[in-house]
Amino acid sequence: MSEDLKAPDWKAEWQPLAEAVGRDFSDRTVVFGADAVEPGTIRRYLEPLEIGCPIHYDAEAARAAGYPDIVAPYTATMVYSVAPMWRPGEPTVYESAGRDAQLARSPINNDDMPLGPKTTGFFATDISMEFLRPVTVGERVGRRGQRLLSCTPKQTSMGRGAFMTWESELVTDRGEVVARVRTGTYAYNPVQSEEEQP
Amino acid sequence: MTHLASRQRSFSDVVVGEDLPSVEFPLTVYRLVVAAGGNRDFNSIHHNTAYAQATGAPEMYASTFFLMGMWERLVRDYIGPAGTIQSIRDFRMRKFNLVGSTVQVRGRVRDARLDGDRGIVTLEVESVVDGQVTVGPGTVEVTLPAAGAAR
Repeated sequence: MSEDLKAPDWKAEWQPLAEAVGRDFSDRTVVFGADAVEPGTIRRYLEPLEIGCPIHYDAEAARAAGYPDIVAPYTATMVYSVAPMWRPGEPTVYESAGRDAQLARSPINNDDMPLGPKTTGFFATDISMEFLRPVTVGERVGRRGQRLLSCTPKQTSMGRGAFMTWESELVTDRGEVVARVRTGTYAYNPVQSEEEQP
Repeated sequence: MTHLASRQRSFSDVVVGEDLPSVEFPLTVYRLVVAAGGNRDFNSIHHNTAYAQATGAPEMYASTFFLMGMWERLVRDYIGPAGTIQSIRDFRMRKFNLVGSTVQVRGRVRDARLDGDRGIVTLEVESVVDGQVTVGPGTVEVTLPAAGAAR
C-alpha cells in the first residue's frame, strides 16, 4: 500500500480533537505557579538575557517609572504560572539513574491533551500574548483556561502529528487577569531528523 | 556608565522606519543551561544533545521562554524604564535556534501614534541566525511617554 493511501488513517486519529475545536478542556480553576514573583527569580530570568533595566532590580527605580514595586519582565509572566516539578509529600520524580532519563512528571508537557493519539514529541510553534499590565514583586500568577482554537493534522520533517492552537489567560492571586495567551503547539511522533522546524 | 535600558525614550524621539539597535545572543551550552535555570523550562530538548536528536532535532535548541526573552531585551533596551509592552504577536518559531549558533534579534518601527499623553508604537521584530529568520517576523506593541514624563 502506498504512503498516500495510508495517510488518512493517521489523520483520522486526530479527528476527535479536530471536532473539539472551540471547547475549553479546563475546569476554569486557576492553576498557580511554583514561585511568587520575587527579586531572585526575576534576576535569574534576566541573567542569560542580560537585560539591565533598573525597574527589574531596584524598587525605587521601578516606583520612579510608575510601578508599585520591582517589575517582572513581561515575557516572564507565563514562567510564574509554571507549576513545581515536585511538592513536599509527593513521590520522587527521579525514578531512574539513566543518563537521559526524564522526570516521572513534568509541568511542561502535553500529557493533559485529552483526546487524539498518544505522541512522544511536543513543542511550541508560536505564541501571541496580550499584556494588561506587568506583574510585580509579591504577586502570584496562575493559568486559567485551555480552549482549543484549532487542530490541523500534518506530517512534517519532524514526524506525524497535529498543529494546535490553545487559548488561556494569566491571573494573579487577587483574581486579576494580567495577560491573555494564544499558544501554537505541534504534537507528533518523530520519523526523521531535519534542521527545519515545522 | 548608564545602561542602554535605563535611558528613557519619549514618543517624540520615535521615527517610523528606523531600526532598533540589534542584539546578539551567542548560544552556548552554558547559556542554555543558565536560561533553563532562569525560566524553568527544563525540557531536555533545550540542554541535552542526545535527547534533542532523539526527538528529531539536529541539536539542543533555545526554548520558547528564552527566545521570547530575547525579544524583550531588544524592546526594553529601546523603550526604557517607563515604556510598557502591550502585546507580542506572531512570535512564530520557524527554525531551531541551535546551540553553537548566534541569534541576532533586530527590529524596526512600523507605526507610531499618540493616544492622549502616551505614544503607542508598533515594532516589527525578528530573530535571525546566519541570515535566516528563525523567529517571526512578529510585532510588539509598546507605549512610551509623550515627552519623557512617567507613564
